[in-house]
Amino acid sequence: MRQLSIIICMLFCSIVFSQKSVPNSTLFTLDGKSLKVLDEISKNKITVLSFWATWCVPCINELDAISEIYDEWQETSNMELIAISTDDSRTQKRIRPMVNGKDWPYKILLDKNQELKRALNISTIPQTYILKGTEIIYIHSGYSPGVEDELFEVIQKNKN
Amino acid sequence: MRKLLVLKLFFLTVFIQAQQNDNLTVGFESNSQYYVDDEKTGDFAEKNRFRSNNYLKIDYSISKFSFGVQAEGYEPMSLLNYSPDFNNSNIALYYAKYTSKKIEATAGYFYEQYGSGLILRSWEDRQLGINNALRGGRIRFYPTENVTLSALYGNQRSGFDVSDASIYGFNSEFNISSMLKSNSWNLDIGLSYVGRKEENDNTDYNFNDLTNAFSSRLNFSVNNFYSSAEFVSKSSDAVIIFDNIRNTKPGNAFLFDVGYGKKGFGINANFRRIENMTFYSERNATGNSFNQNIMNYIPALTKQHDYLLTNIYVYQAQPQISFQDFALLKIGEIGGQVDLFYTLKKKTTLGGKYGTKIALNMSYWAGLSGDYDYLNFEYDADFLKFGKKYFSDISLEIRKKWSSDWSSVFYYVNQYYNKKYIEETFGIVETDIFVSESTYKMGTGKSLRFETQHLWSKDDKKNWVGGTLEFNLNSKFAVYVNDIYNYGNDNETKRIHYYNLGGSYTLGAQRFALNYGRQRGGLVCIGGVCRFVPESTGLTANIVLSF
Repeated sequence: MRQLSIIICMLFCSIVFSQKSVPNSTLFTLDGKSLKVLDEISKNKITVLSFWATWCVPCINELDAISEIYDEWQETSNMELIAISTDDSRTQKRIRPMVNGKDWPYKILLDKNQELKRALNISTIPQTYILKGTEIIYIHSGYSPGVEDELFEVIQKNKN
Repeated sequence: MRKLLVLKLFFLTVFIQAQQNDNLTVGFESNSQYYVDDEKTGDFAEKNRFRSNNYLKIDYSISKFSFGVQAEGYEPMSLLNYSPDFNNSNIALYYAKYTSKKIEATAGYFYEQYGSGLILRSWEDRQLGINNALRGGRIRFYPTENVTLSALYGNQRSGFDVSDASIYGFNSEFNISSMLKSNSWNLDIGLSYVGRKEENDNTDYNFNDLTNAFSSRLNFSVNNFYSSAEFVSKSSDAVIIFDNIRNTKPGNAFLFDVGYGKKGFGINANFRRIENMTFYSERNATGNSFNQNIMNYIPALTKQHDYLLTNIYVYQAQPQISFQDFALLKIGEIGGQVDLFYTLKKKTTLGGKYGTKIALNMSYWAGLSGDYDYLNFEYDADFLKFGKKYFSDISLEIRKKWSSDWSSVFYYVNQYYNKKYIEETFGIVETDIFVSESTYKMGTGKSLRFETQHLWSKDDKKNWVGGTLEFNLNSKFAVYVNDIYNYGNDNETKRIHYYNLGGSYTLGAQRFALNYGRQRGGLVCIGGVCRFVPESTGLTANIVLSF
C-alpha cells in the first residue's frame, strides 16, 4: 500500500504533458461518410475537440454555453470546435435533430463504436482537448459552468 | 511480494516513458469498492468486502505500425455482479496493426461494428462488464474513396479466454452519390455478413453448426431531409428456452428512420420491428444475466434519461423468444420513437432574452402479435401488427437561461412500464416524474447546481422524492450529495434513503473520485444494455490516469 502511494505521488510530482497528437482514427460525418480525424484538423488553427453524447447533460451544458460565445471565440482567434459524438446506435439518430434544434455552429463528427474515445483513453465525458495544429496542448475532463472561460484563455494564449 | 514490486516498478517505468514518449500512450482505470454492513438493507453477505476492477492499456505506434496490450486485474475479486469469468489478473487483449491509405490490417484482439450493430458489434463497457472483442484477424480495404471493404475471422473474448465458436464477417460500404459525382444529395449503401460456427451434438432438432446473418442498409439525404433503412435476417437456429433446445427458428429485423432539420428545429422518427434476433457466440449463453458472449447490439430505442428517478423503470429491447407461461409469450418487439428539438428565439416573448430550448421525445413499444402455440414452443408472427404493450415514455425538457449567472432545466416524464413482460415478473407500473434543476454560476469556475425530483406512481414501490446538490469549487474540484427516498412504499421497512456523497478532482485527463453511499438495487443501464446490481452500501474509489 505504501509503495503504491509512493508511486502515485511520484506520478503526480512528475506530470508534464508531452506533446502528443491525436490518433488518426476513422470517424463519420452526419451523412455517414467515413473520414480520418487528422484530415479534419487544420494545421494552422487552434482546434477544440469536445467529446460528448446526446444523453450526457453536462456535455450539452458545455456545448450550449460555448455556442453562446462562439462568435466571439472565432472573431478573436483562428479556431474551430469539432464536437465528436460518442453516441452508439441507441442514440445516434438523435444527434442530427438535436444539433439542428439547438442550432449549434460546430462541425459534428461521429465516433460510432468509440474507436477514438478508446484510443485516447477517455473514460468519462465530457472531455475536451485543445490542439495547436495536431498537437494536444490542453485537456479538460468534466464540465462546470465557467470552464468555457478557461478554455478561451488557453485558446487566446496559444493563438498565432 | 517481490513479484508485486517488480510489477509496480514496471508500471512506473511505463508511465514515465509514456509522459516523455510521443508514440506511447498509457491509460489506467481503477474502480474499487469497500462494502459495509447496512442496518437498513442488511449485512454484506458475500466474500471479500474490498473488491477492485483495474484496467491498464498500453499502446505504442511507430510509422504505419501500432501495437497494444490491455491487462486487467480483478483483485481480490471483481465488483458485485460482474461475470465470475472476470477473476484474478492477466493480459486480456493485445493487437498489432498496420495502417496505410488503402489498407488497415489487424492481428490479435479488435472491436468491430457492422451498420447499427444489429448483426455484429464488439465493444467494451467497463461499467457493464462487457468486453466482447474478437481475437483473430481483420483486414479493411479502401480501393477508392467511395468504397470500404472489410473481412474478419476470429473467436470472441469470454472472460480471459475466448469462446469456441468461429466468427466470420464481411462488410462493404458504397457511397453511390459520390460515385455519380452528385453534390445535391447523398446515398450510401452497406451490405454485411456474419457467420457463427459452433458445433453441436443435438440430434432432436435440425439446424446447422453455421448460423448466417445478413444486413443490408441504405442511407439517403437531400437538403434538410434524411432517411435510412436497415434489413436484417438470421438463418434458422436453435431456440433455447429454460436452458434446452425447444425449436428452430429464423430471425429478422427491420429498422427505418426519417428526419428533417433546419436552423433551430429538428425532428426525427424511428420505427423498428425485431423477431428472434438474439445472437450469442455460444448457444448455451442465450439470455445469460452477465451480458457475456453477445454478438450483436439491440439497444432500446427510447430516450436515455440522465436523472436518478427517471432511471428506475428503464426499458430494455425485447428481441428474444421467451415462453415463460401461457400468459407470457414473447418473440420480439415492434415500435418506435419520435424526437423533436426546437429553440424559441432570443428576444421573443416566449424565448426571453437568451432563448429557450425545448426537447420532446415519445416512444412506444409492444410485443409482436401472432398465433402462439405454447406447448410446442411454436409461433407464427404477424408482420406489422402490434401485440401487448410493453412500454411507453413521453418526456419534455425545457432549458431556460434566466441571466448570465442563472439557468434552469425543467423535465417531465410520463412512463408506462409493463413489468410483467419486460422483467418477466408481474405488474404494470405507470409513473409521472418531474425534475427541476438550476445552476448558479459564481465565476472562475465556481458554481452551484441543485436538483429536485419527484416520482408519482400508484404502482409497484409508489412515490419517490429526490434531490442533488453539487458544488464546483473550481473547474477541477467538485463535491456533491444526493438522495432518493422511497417514502411512498407500502412496506414501511422499505422506505429507505438511497444517499450518496462524494467528490472528484480532475487534472487534465487524470481523474480521482470518491463516493460513499447506499446504492439502489436494480438495473444499471448504459447505452440500452443493463446490468443488474444488488443493493449495496460502501465506499467507492475511481481513478483514471492517462499519459
